[in-house]
Amino acid sequence: MARILLVDDDPDFVEAVAAILEGKGHEVVKAYDGDEGLEKVKEERPDLIVLDVMMPRMDGYAVCKELKADPQYRSIPVLLLTAVAAKIPTTRYTQQMGMETEADDYIDKPVEPEELVKRVEVLLGK
Amino acid sequence: MAEGDRGRVLVVDDEAVIREGCQRILSKNGWEVVTAADGSEGLSLAGEDPAGLEVVLLDLKMPGISGMEVLERLLEMDPSLPVVVITGYATVDSAVEAMKKGAYDFIPKPFTPDQLRLVVERAAEKRRLEREAERLRQEAARTLRDVATEKGRVLTIINCMADGVLVTDHEGRVALTNPAATRLLGIGQGGEILGRPVEEVLPREELQRAVREALEASRETAISQEIQEGDSLIRAHTAPVRDEEGRVMGTVTVLQDLSYVLELDRMKGEFIAMVSHELRSPVSAIEQSLGAVLAAEELPGRARHFLERAKERARGLIELINDLLEISRIEAGVAIQRREPLQVDEVVRKAVELLQIEADKKGLDLRFKVKEPLPRVLGDSQGLEGVFTNLVGNAVKYTPAGGKVEVLVEAEGDYVKVTVKDTGVGVPKEDLPRIFDKFYRSRTEGTREIIGTGLGLSIAKATVEAHLGKIDVESEVGKGTTFTVLLPSSSS
Repeated sequence: MARILLVDDDPDFVEAVAAILEGKGHEVVKAYDGDEGLEKVKEERPDLIVLDVMMPRMDGYAVCKELKADPQYRSIPVLLLTAVAAKIPTTRYTQQMGMETEADDYIDKPVEPEELVKRVEVLLGK
Repeated sequence: MAEGDRGRVLVVDDEAVIREGCQRILSKNGWEVVTAADGSEGLSLAGEDPAGLEVVLLDLKMPGISGMEVLERLLEMDPSLPVVVITGYATVDSAVEAMKKGAYDFIPKPFTPDQLRLVVERAAEKRRLEREAERLRQEAARTLRDVATEKGRVLTIINCMADGVLVTDHEGRVALTNPAATRLLGIGQGGEILGRPVEEVLPREELQRAVREALEASRETAISQEIQEGDSLIRAHTAPVRDEEGRVMGTVTVLQDLSYVLELDRMKGEFIAMVSHELRSPVSAIEQSLGAVLAAEELPGRARHFLERAKERARGLIELINDLLEISRIEAGVAIQRREPLQVDEVVRKAVELLQIEADKKGLDLRFKVKEPLPRVLGDSQGLEGVFTNLVGNAVKYTPAGGKVEVLVEAEGDYVKVTVKDTGVGVPKEDLPRIFDKFYRSRTEGTREIIGTGLGLSIAKATVEAHLGKIDVESEVGKGTTFTVLLPSSSS
């Protein structure tokens, strides 16, 4: 089972997603903003990062960009959580933004537990 | 005819017989007659109101002031006053001289009543015609003044407008520009550009072309386009101006500066991002928590049902927030919708691909067909993608397992037609007219459990109409529903 870093500024959301992942036997490390997320990456060396896009101060894109620019952490897969106003067009937009920030996958928030578990497994299997 | 109705005649003669004779004869004919026995009396009578006299009968040979001098002074008072001189047989020469000086006619003494009547009638007729001519002259002058005032007013309006105005003649030469046009397009003013062809004046080829196209347009057309000029985004409408017989006399181009709209849009974007976070986040957290509970815990049957339902409702609420944000974007954003040439089939294909997974999951046969060739459409690809995702999404949502959804893109006249046809639950006839209304949802047996916001179709309709297109629906309960979208091709 893997060690997963979960970064989101909403504690309730973190709690719920952590429960889903822990239910599948993963160890979940929690962080509540971008800076803390980066710190935890260094301290905890997670196998996967689940990263919310929309956070105050340093957003998910910025965190992802910084990680992917660092050879030490580049190989850690990043799953972006997108939650943006308009459905289709912006999903595609964030998808493109995600690509630009080299995220490994993205998923709409709130996430379907099944879908999340599946994506996480795919990313960990890489 | 009653005495005096026809106006006033002045008789100036030193012979009482003549004065009385004239008075008698002319009074019978409806004239008001005033008489004077010599020149100075005549002049003072005339001087009271020269314009009120129709005709003056003037004896040339009188004691005191001579008839000639009276004639001159009368004509000084009123140059158009008809003066008929009364002369003896022996003085035809002086009659001629009087005519040279401006008398209208002469009548030799002695004269018959008929002769008198005739000469007075003629002179009065001349007076009437001159008055009429003068009236017309004044009217024409007033009309000219009005036209000048009106023209000045229109020019002032045009010059004060925030929108730019550019007028050309039928050969495409600049006839008028206002300061806003000069500023927006960064072109010269007045004399620098007046009378020169648009090709030499307008900075952008698109604008020159629009003017030329408008000049050649066979029907009522307006060419609308958006151009980036320096820092500003300009919307330009160009239309032909026609005369009463429909001939093109020139063109008018109106230029709107959209920069402030873009600024508003940016602010709105920030607001939307704020709302989307502040409103969506808590609901997302609720949904996510319910999802976590449902995924992990062993639950008694009824508890699971309620939690599942609660989760679905939370999901519905998130979709509603999404749709509300989307519709506010469209409603405010129609004005600045981007228009670019599009292949509609590519836009529809993206929507179909996006829903393929869901269709597969449900066991639906989702088919996509394109009939080539297709003209291009000017449009906003994201907006249209939203429309087709909504229509195909609905078809997938409301079609039971094993059903079929067909999507067809084809050309039809000047339009591209997209048909989305399903074998779903259908919409009752009485609901059809209202399904594009905001928040309207058809409630039938098969659809009660499906969560929706009732905004999707009204968003789709608003978007299609912003593209000058048309959306239509046909449906039969239990058989299926067909949506058709017509989008005008970019060439039409």
